[in-house]
Amino acid sequence: MFNVFYAELLKLKHSRMFWLVLVGALPANLITLFVMMPKVSMDGARVGVDMMYVFYRQGMMLVMMGPSMFTIMAAYIFAREYQERTINQLFSYPISRIRILAAKLSVVFALIAVTAALSSILALGVGVVQLIKQNAEWNTIWLGIRMNLMVIVLSFGTVPVAAAFGMAGKSVIPAAVVGSFATIVTVIGEIGHGRQSILFPWLTSYGPVRRMAQEIAQAGSNPYEPTAALILTVVFLVSLTYCLFHYVRTDVHSGS
Amino acid sequence: MSYVLRTRHLTKRYGQKAIVQDLNMNVRAGDIYGFLGQNGAGKTTTLRMIMGLIRPTAGEIEWFGEGRAGERARAFERVGAIIEYPGFYLNLSAADNLEIHRRLMGMGNKEAIDDVLTTVGLIGAKRQKVKSYSLGMKQRLGIARALLHHPELLILDEPTNGLDPGGIKEIRQLFLRLAKQRGITFIISSHLLSEIEQLATRVGIIHQGKLLEEIDYEALQRKSRRYLEIKVDDERRAAYILEQQLNASDYVAAGPGVLHLYEHLDRAADVNYTLATHGIGVKGIALSGDKLEDYFLKMTGGDPLV
Repeated sequence: MFNVFYAELLKLKHSRMFWLVLVGALPANLITLFVMMPKVSMDGARVGVDMMYVFYRQGMMLVMMGPSMFTIMAAYIFAREYQERTINQLFSYPISRIRILAAKLSVVFALIAVTAALSSILALGVGVVQLIKQNAEWNTIWLGIRMNLMVIVLSFGTVPVAAAFGMAGKSVIPAAVVGSFATIVTVIGEIGHGRQSILFPWLTSYGPVRRMAQEIAQAGSNPYEPTAALILTVVFLVSLTYCLFHYVRTDVHSGS
Repeated sequence: MSYVLRTRHLTKRYGQKAIVQDLNMNVRAGDIYGFLGQNGAGKTTTLRMIMGLIRPTAGEIEWFGEGRAGERARAFERVGAIIEYPGFYLNLSAADNLEIHRRLMGMGNKEAIDDVLTTVGLIGAKRQKVKSYSLGMKQRLGIARALLHHPELLILDEPTNGLDPGGIKEIRQLFLRLAKQRGITFIISSHLLSEIEQLATRVGIIHQGKLLEEIDYEALQRKSRRYLEIKVDDERRAAYILEQQLNASDYVAAGPGVLHLYEHLDRAADVNYTLATHGIGVKGIALSGDKLEDYFLKMTGGDPLV
């Protein structure tokens, strides 16, 4: 299995994928930089860095960029096999198509993880400095790390949808359209801060981010979380089943 | 006789339309099997079914005399293929593309990449990105990839498509060398009779989805040779006179009073004169038989190959 995974990673060498990861990670770092700017309160006193707020902003930006970025990443990994006409060769290996699908999805997961890690690098750096200066508690930093881990897992929930569009459309474009649509809805949802916004599968990953906002967190847990988790699970399973069916059963024709 | 690949009643239908019908292909170890047919005859669909890219509507594929459908994955370790077009990851170098293949085939020997690139004459361009390769270079790289894991069977779908005459000759020589030196069995599909003529040891003719004939190339040549059909009153004496007077040796007695002479085709008048002056009663003399192309035309009901 490692060989299949490694081969999938190798396919991304010299591709624009790593630029896409950087583009996905950069805005979160810029917003972190902005949050760190010196601030003063109304009475003129200097206000320190609030790590909860830093992670909240970083998470918001990551979740905002995620739908379009991760959709394009997933769709590219699947669609390029058809566009570059390597699908004939890929399906002629003595490897089950399920393993190929699993390796591709694993690479997407790794890319999401790297994007999230890079997007949080500045926030974590600030957190470490604040820890050393004893201006923040480890518990707060851990909450930020856990939020990012949750965003990675929950963002992966919609990846099979992008993969399905990539393999059915044999192009990145249909998935990019879906990703753009999801991004617009996500941005609107995040601006609204509504509790039920996490029901939209691409916004489920906003759930752990939302928890980071202190005031909202004090309002207690979000009652929509179980339903949102159920919806995302159903979306994941249905789209994954489609991907499996498509990969295993569909004929590969000329020009595919 | 050991078979590398056999298909039994292989069929592919889309709705009511049969693209491939009841196809029984028999490829023996060591064959260079020319799979000949017009564009749209069903060659690529057949090869796609063989490589598991298209699910057959009916029929079976037997690999290396043992494996049926369930053994396909194991059989694929012994097969190299280029179906229709050698696709590559264009952002990668030739070496990286072959490294992916090496990994996916589970091969340990990394040096094999350089060896195979040397075989196809691309070692100097191994670090070059494939997007800068010409079509000919891509075809050669496709062959390199198909060879990397030391296959026993190479399946090549129209491997000379898009190549210039020099490239075609080069690739043909490579195939012949591989068949001779490594004992690789080939299935080469083509719509070009000239290509098959220069390579194949066995030919399968497909037309409108049906395998019309499967025949050794030598037998095909015999079937499709041109000859002078000479009708005489005594074929044994006539043969003796042809041997003595015209140094003829390539002939057969095709029946009572009938000789088929495969040489002196443009000297019918001389043959007639020689026989007549030696007291043989010549009832008729005519150029007969088919050129290979005529033979295919006859087989395919008059539809030309190219």
